[in-house]
Amino acid sequence: MEIQPILLTLRRSKTGAILVAAQVALTLAIICNALFVVKARIATIDRPSGVAEDEVFQIQYAAAGVIEDRKGMQQADLAALRAIPGVEAVAAVNSFPVSSSGWGMGVTLDGKPGSEIPTGVYFSGESFVNAMGLKLIAGRDFQAGDVREVDDRTDARVQADVVILSGRLARKLFGDEQKAIGKTVYQGSGKEAQQMRVIGVVDTLLSSSAPAIDDYAQSTFIWPIRYLGATAHYAVRAEPSQRARVMKDAEKALSALRPDRVLINLHDMGEIKYRRYRHERAGANMLIAVTIGLLLVTASGIVGVASLWVSQRRKQIGVRRALGARRRDIVRYFVTENLLITTAGVAAGIALAIGLNLFLVSKLELAKLPIPYLVGGMVAVWALGLASVIGPAWRAASVPPAIATRTA
Amino acid sequence: MLAYYLALGLRHLRQSPILTGLIVVTLAVGVAASMSTLTVLRAMSGDPIPEKSDRLFTPNLDNRPDDGSSRDPRPPEMLTYRDAVALKNAKPGLRKSSVMRISPVIAPSRTDVKPFFGDGISVHADFFKMMDVPFVQGGPWSEADDARGNHVVVLRESMAEKLFGDAEPVGKTLHLDTYDATVTGVVSDAWEPVPRFYRLVSGPPPFRGVEDLFIPWSTAIANEMQPQGNVNCFTDPAPDAPPGYEGLKQSECIWVQFWVELASASDAPAYRDFLDGYVAEQRKLGRFPLPTNNKLFDVQGWLDVNKIVSKDTRLQTYLAFGFLLVCLVNCIGLLLAKFTARSGEIGVRRALGAPRRAIFKQYLVESGVVGLVGGAAGLGLTFASLWFLRKQSDEFAVLAKMDWMMLAITLVVAVVASLLAGILPTWRACQVQPALQLKSQ
Repeated sequence: MEIQPILLTLRRSKTGAILVAAQVALTLAIICNALFVVKARIATIDRPSGVAEDEVFQIQYAAAGVIEDRKGMQQADLAALRAIPGVEAVAAVNSFPVSSSGWGMGVTLDGKPGSEIPTGVYFSGESFVNAMGLKLIAGRDFQAGDVREVDDRTDARVQADVVILSGRLARKLFGDEQKAIGKTVYQGSGKEAQQMRVIGVVDTLLSSSAPAIDDYAQSTFIWPIRYLGATAHYAVRAEPSQRARVMKDAEKALSALRPDRVLINLHDMGEIKYRRYRHERAGANMLIAVTIGLLLVTASGIVGVASLWVSQRRKQIGVRRALGARRRDIVRYFVTENLLITTAGVAAGIALAIGLNLFLVSKLELAKLPIPYLVGGMVAVWALGLASVIGPAWRAASVPPAIATRTA
Repeated sequence: MLAYYLALGLRHLRQSPILTGLIVVTLAVGVAASMSTLTVLRAMSGDPIPEKSDRLFTPNLDNRPDDGSSRDPRPPEMLTYRDAVALKNAKPGLRKSSVMRISPVIAPSRTDVKPFFGDGISVHADFFKMMDVPFVQGGPWSEADDARGNHVVVLRESMAEKLFGDAEPVGKTLHLDTYDATVTGVVSDAWEPVPRFYRLVSGPPPFRGVEDLFIPWSTAIANEMQPQGNVNCFTDPAPDAPPGYEGLKQSECIWVQFWVELASASDAPAYRDFLDGYVAEQRKLGRFPLPTNNKLFDVQGWLDVNKIVSKDTRLQTYLAFGFLLVCLVNCIGLLLAKFTARSGEIGVRRALGAPRRAIFKQYLVESGVVGLVGGAAGLGLTFASLWFLRKQSDEFAVLAKMDWMMLAITLVVAVVASLLAGILPTWRACQVQPALQLKSQ
């Protein structure tokens, strides 16, 4: 192998080599960390909400005057929505998963202060599970007898005797979703804690705020409460192919029912998720752009330095060719040289990547960088180096041997 | 001589155009990435009201129950209705105002505009002077309006235009929820403090949305307008508590943001003492069971404690500057290539008597020229990427705005970066041996 002469040459043109290696090292350090963050953002954006996302939509009206007969309004709305062809289930809800606006409460196992788990709360007088298309994995859904009525004008407290937990909350409290059934948990703590019995567990149900921290986003429960508030808020499930039409019909039907309210939300689940994760998406896109920019810049740097060397060494290449070196020997020379430099850069880059990660962990509470990202980054940078050097190496190989005889 | 070098530098831009183009593009991309993220970061961490941010304070009182549930050492971030009223009526403080976000239905007198929900806040008359809110027409309502809960309203310029078109809005009425309100003034659209520190902890995110209308605090309360935003209750209502709005007013729930302007920053300790005294008074009445834990934040302290600058933004800024560093290293390599190609020319100049210093000057000037061109291109790219960011979300629409300061910083960063990148290649150019170069020609 010709490593010895390559090393000798490199010692004579250190600057270029160091520049390329430094660039490779920085690039590796940054792209490993950037892609790691991108992966986390995408995982947040892509996580299932638990809701049948192709089927469900939200429709909400706010009162534009004083609405006295809230129960009547709710029942008329529900009947109108059910009458639309293609509608499979309807529920009046207090808030909507992932919609950024909702209710939160604390849940404890024993009602003692100090151990409250922050939890997203949903309630409906109908079957929330059915209207959202949730998957019940233990126990049963609510029955008509479970439902309580709460009017915010006359009732100071919102409470119910039975509850359905999300899978994550059930596991957090009882270790296993089956074990949760029939057990008692408390909403709140201390002397105001209210007891409730777990009758069911759903697989997944994200909270309305759906924060990036998965543990907070996944802890939710459902109450069988018909809440009579000033706004009219419904979840509707329809055939995926008919949803768009049903949404239009629903707006027409409800707007025709009464003039004293204003439509404030009409979104399908896809739109709701899109709006909630806009920030995460923008951040991920920005990091992807930085990564692509880095790879391009580094590639151009390698091409630049390699081209410089080729033009500086035309004469030597000619001499080698005249002495019997084949074209592929020349190509191999430049490729090997590049590989050596890139490898040195990669070695430094791994140290830098870990250093940068530690810095980000301490400053921004980022997670530790997993090894596969380092390996992936290494492979990417090696491939990039090879791809960039092929062009200049090929030009070097096409230097004619006759060059050796031309100039002094 | 410098002018001559500048001319030479400009002329040499055209020499080896591919290499020069590559340098300029690399520099421009690095500058644009770092400057657009820095612009956002700077806007996020900026002082929304620089003239008096050290004199405006928001008090937090710890009214949580003593049942061990209050693990957070920070007191609640808003006040109860009762405490807000008490602090407003107390003597200390130059100007004081409660802030509550509201969303009343606006029914315009114009028939071509349908009723809609407005975004607004209910405040005291002091608010406008405290926050230096500029009026284009009319002015704030009076303290008498405050006291009597009169049906008056201040509109934002764009909202006034939407409601009344070209007509003079002051003195006109519009229908809000359940009553008719008279417009007393119109606030300039230019009033856009970033972030919206006065309603930071409740309602829309701190960089999004503007207030379309302002109504007196007492009017909003008298008409039972619902607070739009968080209502946090650490204590569940007593069994005999009244339901509805009256219950909310009497409860220990926090939902009012409160701001006080002091005559000078040095009055803060006295106001703190006053707060402690107030809490001690209330404790005698059976409230505030926890040890006194009052906080008084000035604007900057309030922004810091609420961690306004998102971690994502910081991360992006760090990574973008890492990117700029890579671009710089790349530029060093490319400049080295560019200068090495001219060894012959340098040899001739040296042989004709040019000292190393002259060569150094000439090539550093040339790097600077490349930096200027790269900086100008980078500035263009920065504007483009900020424009792109503004399209991404409402928050970026507020944040991704270039100002003169950032413009200057961008150009300086580009030129300094290219000079830094130029030092090594220039130094190498000075090392050229005249004899060797002349011989090899």
